[in-house]
Amino acid sequence: MHDPITHVKPRAEWALIDMGRPCVPGNVTARVIKHPVAGSASTSKVQRLGAEGCITMTTPQPLWKEPPPEKPADKRRRGFVILSFWLIVVLLGLPIWWQTTTIYRADLPLQEMLDWAEGRACRPVFPLRIAVQAPSLHDHEAQTLVRLTQHALDDLNDFAGHHLRLSLAKQSAPSADLDVVLTVRLLPGDATTAHLDPYEPVLHVTYPPNAIPSASASSSTLATYIASTLREAFAEEQATISYLLSANGSSPSSGEPRPLGQGLAPDVAESLAKRSTRALRYAPTYHLTFSLFTSGSTPSSWDIEKAIEDYMKPVLDVLSPIHNFTIDTQIQLYATPGVQNQVLTKEDLSSFINAAEWPLSPSIGGAPTINFVVFIGNQTIYIPSSSGSESVSSHSWLIPQWGAVYLLPLTSGTAHLPSHELKHPLLTFTSHLLTLTGTPHSGSLPLRLSSLSRIRSADLLLRASSTLGSLARLVVALPSISIPPSVADGVATTLSHLRHACYTLGMPEALYHARVAEAAAERAFFEKSMVGQLYFPDEHKVAVYLPLLGPVAVPLLMGAWNEILGWVRRRGVKGKVE
Amino acid sequence: MRQPLSTLFLFFFSFLSLPLSLSLTTPDSDSQAPQDYIHAETDYQEQLHLRPLPRAALLASFSFRSNTTFSEFTSRNFRLFPRSLGQILSYANTRELHLRFNLGRWDAESWGSRPWNGAREGGTGVELWAWLVADSEAEAERKWVVLTNALSGLFCASLNFIDSTRTTRPVMSFRPEGNHNDVDPGKMHLLHGVLPHEVVCTENLTPFLKLLPCKGKAGIASLLDGHKLFDASWQSMAIDVRPICVGEDECVLQIEQTIDMVLDVDRAKRPRENPIPRPLPSHFLPCDTSKPYHSHDTCFPLDHTRNRDWSLTQVFGRPLKGACPLSNPSIPPICLHVPSSRKVFFAGVAAEQENERENIRCYHLSPEEEFNLVLPPPELPDADELDLVVPPTPPPLYAERSFTGYGQERGGVQALLHNPSKAEHVSFIYFETLPWFMRIYLHTLTARLIPNNSTTSPPKDIKVKESVDLIKKINYRPALDRARPSHLELHLTVPPLSTVQLTYTFDKTILRYTEYPPDANRGFDVPAAIITVLPDDSSDPSAPSPDSNLQPRYSLRTTTLLCSLPTPDFSMPYNVIIFTSTAIALAFGGVFNILVRRFVAADEGPVVGIAALKRRLMLRIGGLLKKLGVKA
Repeated sequence: MHDPITHVKPRAEWALIDMGRPCVPGNVTARVIKHPVAGSASTSKVQRLGAEGCITMTTPQPLWKEPPPEKPADKRRRGFVILSFWLIVVLLGLPIWWQTTTIYRADLPLQEMLDWAEGRACRPVFPLRIAVQAPSLHDHEAQTLVRLTQHALDDLNDFAGHHLRLSLAKQSAPSADLDVVLTVRLLPGDATTAHLDPYEPVLHVTYPPNAIPSASASSSTLATYIASTLREAFAEEQATISYLLSANGSSPSSGEPRPLGQGLAPDVAESLAKRSTRALRYAPTYHLTFSLFTSGSTPSSWDIEKAIEDYMKPVLDVLSPIHNFTIDTQIQLYATPGVQNQVLTKEDLSSFINAAEWPLSPSIGGAPTINFVVFIGNQTIYIPSSSGSESVSSHSWLIPQWGAVYLLPLTSGTAHLPSHELKHPLLTFTSHLLTLTGTPHSGSLPLRLSSLSRIRSADLLLRASSTLGSLARLVVALPSISIPPSVADGVATTLSHLRHACYTLGMPEALYHARVAEAAAERAFFEKSMVGQLYFPDEHKVAVYLPLLGPVAVPLLMGAWNEILGWVRRRGVKGKVE
Repeated sequence: MRQPLSTLFLFFFSFLSLPLSLSLTTPDSDSQAPQDYIHAETDYQEQLHLRPLPRAALLASFSFRSNTTFSEFTSRNFRLFPRSLGQILSYANTRELHLRFNLGRWDAESWGSRPWNGAREGGTGVELWAWLVADSEAEAERKWVVLTNALSGLFCASLNFIDSTRTTRPVMSFRPEGNHNDVDPGKMHLLHGVLPHEVVCTENLTPFLKLLPCKGKAGIASLLDGHKLFDASWQSMAIDVRPICVGEDECVLQIEQTIDMVLDVDRAKRPRENPIPRPLPSHFLPCDTSKPYHSHDTCFPLDHTRNRDWSLTQVFGRPLKGACPLSNPSIPPICLHVPSSRKVFFAGVAAEQENERENIRCYHLSPEEEFNLVLPPPELPDADELDLVVPPTPPPLYAERSFTGYGQERGGVQALLHNPSKAEHVSFIYFETLPWFMRIYLHTLTARLIPNNSTTSPPKDIKVKESVDLIKKINYRPALDRARPSHLELHLTVPPLSTVQLTYTFDKTILRYTEYPPDANRGFDVPAAIITVLPDDSSDPSAPSPDSNLQPRYSLRTTTLLCSLPTPDFSMPYNVIIFTSTAIALAFGGVFNILVRRFVAADEGPVVGIAALKRRLMLRIGGLLKKLGVKA
């Protein structure tokens, strides 16, 4: 067998070898023995390689040659090349990538928002000022009476958030002070009586001459009587507010006793729940739509304008400080109800409105619509007596958060409906309207309205807080959602108005602040650019990045790895040499 | 159904000739004066005109008109005027509104001039134009968006897609129909938008009927059935709202709803249970006996000679349920336009009223009784078609428009406008809204006159006259990409018995990936051109004339066009990503390796190849085994 080396021609090709490959002497010998073809005729190169100190070649006729030693300048240059690539990637590429793919998220005061939602930021307190007028009493007598009544009130009260503050008013100014919720007017009389003035927020109390407590007395029947009367007058408001607080899950700061729903009897809570689900959400303006539906062609006209003016306008005027109303009316002929039965059961009432055919679309312009439907028909409503509390009368029913329907029996052929025929429907609608706006049921009308404004401000405050909480949770839960600056502005507006509302609770301006806060919170929550967030799943990102990063990142990483490895080895070798 | 129909019905031939003059508003060209629709004295009226057309077609024109006084409108007491629409109008400060839903093509060659002189129809799809009151153009545009969005919800149409890229402000084409003397003319803004792609269907009819005082339950509206209406050869639904002042009285706001449809009697008579057309048995086939090859076993079928008889119930699929009790009793709800020589029967309680000179028969109905109208087959089976119908009047102008050119880069548009009149010049406004992705070259706009004898002579011999004075005036507003369409209004005049060929070329734009609609290969609809024929005495249409009621003589729309744009392959983004990534990776890898690797002679490098790898592996394993063995 001839020597293979002599027959192998020197090869002109260049081979790539990786930097920093470990050159182990045993490795090379093994190669030389087992792979003689790879060898070449030049001996000088092998010897030079051996001189570098990596491989000590002792074979007289080497079969495989090591590449010549690399110049240190080349090595350094390679190091710089790899370094500069990495610098470009890290200093230029990554920031650009970061800049172009990052999602703008405005800073939100998340903790503060959550505090509001959980009721830690504001403890709703309704200090209601009640003025006492006692023109026939001496000053000190009146003082004593007020003090005793206050004591009695404090003893009765079990809800810390809602307390009545009595003060002695000057007789000259009966109700100039707007902060005063109720004026108690004490007048001498024959017996102890009390009644609410139907037109003014005034409680008239008469007392027998001997009922005035002495300055040193620790209790007085008159004071207890006034206190319990006052308590009764505000009982519904108190219950509603405490229900609202408990329903919204809002709790005052820890350590305080929870004066919430626990104080309410279950049946009271249930009726309050029913009432609050019936009422529409608060809005500064409501559209009232009065519609006359008839299954035939008559009547085709009605005196609705006059009827509204006569029977409903007074209540609308009274409600005007809290709500504005716009009114429109329409007549719809040939309307078939959703239920054709002559006797309507409770189940039929919910499907009586033929939503597909009757043009009762909500008004445009943002404000909610309350529909009042007069249907010409002689259907009767039959409801089993056990749940008889459902309907106000046998002619009409209320549809929660939507409006009311009144069935008006009419002889056929009546072409025109005069306004006196509409008296009953409209009076019924008026009471339905009060229910739909969430007005309390008991007390005199002025008192009911002022308490409505307090209930509404508490409601709005809680609603805005819970919207803020939802927004905060949403922001935390969806890290890929973008938060435009307008949302941050909205949150800031909400928070500042919430703070104002919280300070002024129980006063008229609280409603304004709560209203602004609620509107801003809703706007921030339903921000358009946030709602339509771009959904870009992770698989897509991988699909987009992989073809780019794979072929680029692998050489970069391998280059860096080899360079580091070589550097470590050189240091090791250097250390050994030294 | 070929037996005498008279035996089937109990007829009430009650020829009560009511002492009423026939001053009716008809959809015909001959009897309509511009101010004719101003009938402010009654609150509601409705009328149906039936007019058999040649080739076994039947034109049915429904019109419903109700008024409300301004004071009732502003105090929002809606009685006959629909509340839903009224609210939208007041919310969007709209003074006058015109909304059109159209489907199909009006065959002017055989059907003559259009109903209502073309005033109650739009281009294919949905068309909307309105006069809004606003202090500035920007405000007007905001109101317009409110209006289109609200109408979109009301009519279940995609009107909300009428954005700024589809909105124009025509200058010469439209005139307000109502009185707007109480509004500062500078504050009135006319905006016009078209959706040519919108398919009109039943969901648009239902809200349309809901606006009527009698709904679809009584009166002529009880005939309207979505199945028949949208099966028609051509149909148009229109809603017009305009303020109208008559004399010193209080102004009223008038809403007029019209539906015009051309029913193919043959198709409409098909029973609903058996709607699929099937070939007739051979002995029922009407054959053209004049053909030389006609024999007992060969037949050239004669189209449209059958089915010249019909009844209301047959063609509309349902009976007419009496008159709407709210409508003005002095206006007959149904009028039929047939030659007085033809026999007409009716069933139900009704009073017939005939005007022989104008070939109109009208019927007063009672509110309770159902009514049916029967047109029996002609007495002479071979009667000439034109004797059986009132001959249609030719329109003052024929128009057709088509694309020229080929390829996906550029194209052209050609419009042929033909004046059939022997003596009169026709002066009209040609208005086109072109989408921004059709970039037109205005300098290529040419109008050439082709004499009318072109049909007889071969095309090569056409004497084409370049005629500069055909275009009197050009109003052009170029498109802005993705912001507004091209708006081209031309004032043209066509001499008698001649055709004007209007041509221009355009470039097609490549759209962005997301701008293509689903099914992009179908093409993009280009709205119809609107042609408004001017009254003879108006010389300059753009000049604000003192007489604001100068209404156009006739108006017509061409068909819409389908423009195909270069459509990309929609997997493009991923292809692009992968392609560029590969290119970058190749370039980067090459450069990086050249810079970083060291080059040595082939015999100096480490051995590569499968054998070498195997050996290395074996060595490694051997080493490992040795190690293990040592340890063991």
